[in-house]
Amino acid sequence: MSAPTPVREPVWSLSRKAIALWVAQGAVGTLCYGLVVGAFWLLVPLDAGAAVAPARWAGAAFVLAYAVLTLAVRPRLRFRVHRWEVTGEAIYTLTGWLTRTWTLVPISRVQTVDVTRGLLQQLFGLATVAVLTASSQGTVRVPHLDLDVARHVADHVARRAEKTRDEAT
Amino acid sequence: MTRPTARRTSPRVLLVHTLTFRQARSVVPVALAVIAGRGLQGSPATVVALVVGVTVLSLLWAALAWWRTSYLAGDTAVVLTRGLVSRSVRTVPNDRIRGVEVEAPPVHRLFGLVRVRIDAAAGTVASEDEELVIDGVLRAEGDRLRAQLLSRRAVVATEAAGRHSAPEPVEEELHRFRNRWLLYSPLVGSYLVLPLAGVGALFRLLDEVPDRYVPRPGQLIGSPDLSDGWLVLAVVGGALVLLALGAVLGSAVVNWRFRLVLRGGSLIAERGLLTRRHTDLEVDRIRGCAVSEGLGMRLVGAARATALVTGLGDAARRGQLLPLGPREDGWQLTDLLVPSPGTLQRHPAAARRRRLGRAVAPGGVLLVAGAVLTATAGWWPLLVAGAVLTALGVPLGLARYAALGHATGPTSFAVRSGWLVREHVVLQRRAVVGWEVRQTVVQRRAGLATVQACVGAGQGGYSAVDMAAPEVAGFTRAASGSWASALAG
Repeated sequence: MSAPTPVREPVWSLSRKAIALWVAQGAVGTLCYGLVVGAFWLLVPLDAGAAVAPARWAGAAFVLAYAVLTLAVRPRLRFRVHRWEVTGEAIYTLTGWLTRTWTLVPISRVQTVDVTRGLLQQLFGLATVAVLTASSQGTVRVPHLDLDVARHVADHVARRAEKTRDEAT
Repeated sequence: MTRPTARRTSPRVLLVHTLTFRQARSVVPVALAVIAGRGLQGSPATVVALVVGVTVLSLLWAALAWWRTSYLAGDTAVVLTRGLVSRSVRTVPNDRIRGVEVEAPPVHRLFGLVRVRIDAAAGTVASEDEELVIDGVLRAEGDRLRAQLLSRRAVVATEAAGRHSAPEPVEEELHRFRNRWLLYSPLVGSYLVLPLAGVGALFRLLDEVPDRYVPRPGQLIGSPDLSDGWLVLAVVGGALVLLALGAVLGSAVVNWRFRLVLRGGSLIAERGLLTRRHTDLEVDRIRGCAVSEGLGMRLVGAARATALVTGLGDAARRGQLLPLGPREDGWQLTDLLVPSPGTLQRHPAAARRRRLGRAVAPGGVLLVAGAVLTATAGWWPLLVAGAVLTALGVPLGLARYAALGHATGPTSFAVRSGWLVREHVVLQRRAVVGWEVRQTVVQRRAGLATVQACVGAGQGGYSAVDMAAPEVAGFTRAASGSWASALAG
């Protein structure tokens, strides 16, 4: 990395299963684009216009590049970047892969804690913890934790928030 | 104390609703369509019958609605029951009431009535559903309701705080709108839009009217000679003058005799020429203030000051402390409510490079494309446009950089950004409910980061754009509680 980070990195990584989930997401995306490009190859005849042949190859190249990016590069990079932590006073996360976002929310200002599980997440036994505050912008999301970890964290944060809440707005 | 009973609104509201065709409005488009379809070949008697019919229908409708509507301001909650066939009951507990607004639209004023809006917004995401409107009570009853609801709320608040002595309500006028400030309005975007919206509405109305009733300007004044440059100039000049007049007029209607009063723990704002509004803000819920200056306003030193209040619906309008006025007055008010954190710190030179780069980039792309086109096809206008845009980008980027700044003080902090509308926000330390630090790839290489303070008021978040990355941890720690030290390594 060329420059030091503006703030410190949280210490804990996500579940390793998150990589598998991101790869699965990439596979679904690649499949969709592949079907579109495949349909173009099969259904649009070559003599329909001069632009068809270049478009075919451009489409194929796009699918290939997309597959490499979303299957091989992005999941690993994301896993390396994503970090989270619950400190004595706050919940702290780092997300993103190109643009990085650090979010810090004090437990005393937490209003609600949600645990959500998407379809893919259920397949991989993962869950997302979302911590909401009075601000529409101040929401912390810790994606793809192991289900028991997520439940434990949500429980812990909610209980501590109840004890230390001041004004919460 | 007598047990509160459910009451009806004043029967005079029937007249208001009949006059404004509130219920019959839905009939009008149908009637217009019928007229358009059949033509008005009938005698004037038909027209009279139609008007009378619609009026009677409207009165009947209003009467039914009035008869089925009742409200109850009890010890614990306000309940509004209404609905002709399907009944709806809306209950707002007293401790959830965030504000009470008494407004008197012109027709209501004619009959000595007011409309009471009770605001119970739960968060910053406000919607119409979160308020309860009692439409058409006598002015005295409206004031009584407001006083009763707000005093209850104050009791709840003092009980919660464990205090027993309620403070004496002393009234202090903070400031009063001066009519000469109306002259600023042609320089403010939102007021310039008002006459344009009026013109738009007029055109929509013309669209509804069948074609043969629309006069053709060509027939009336003959076709004008467009080759005459002076005529075009006069028309454009006249339109500009009209636009400016419209802006002043619109601003006068909204801001007429604006007054800000501090009474007890509340700020009370009164405003409006036709519709008179009374808005209550609890000082305790104010988390910060924003002073915004548009491009035109900066030329004449005008500004607008807004309070950032937690849990206030429609906060942009209701939170206004100074709708339009000299910058000094805006700052005086702001300093009174939130202590100033001192002068702003400039952002590093890398931030200036980034602003310049972003401002010049669109022009630069055009310039390159134009150069390619000139070389290949000999078509040069794009090249010129690109060069002009690139040149304009330089002052724009510098101005955008000059707007950036942040400051921290003992109890508050400030951030400033924006060029078209420059917004200087001063927030209390306790306002921060979270921090969000963002860094794009470009920012990472330039050693910059954008820090957003998440706040449960106003827009929900205010950013210090392109701050020097090593300063971020210190800034967040100084601008909020000890919990923010988790960001420092």
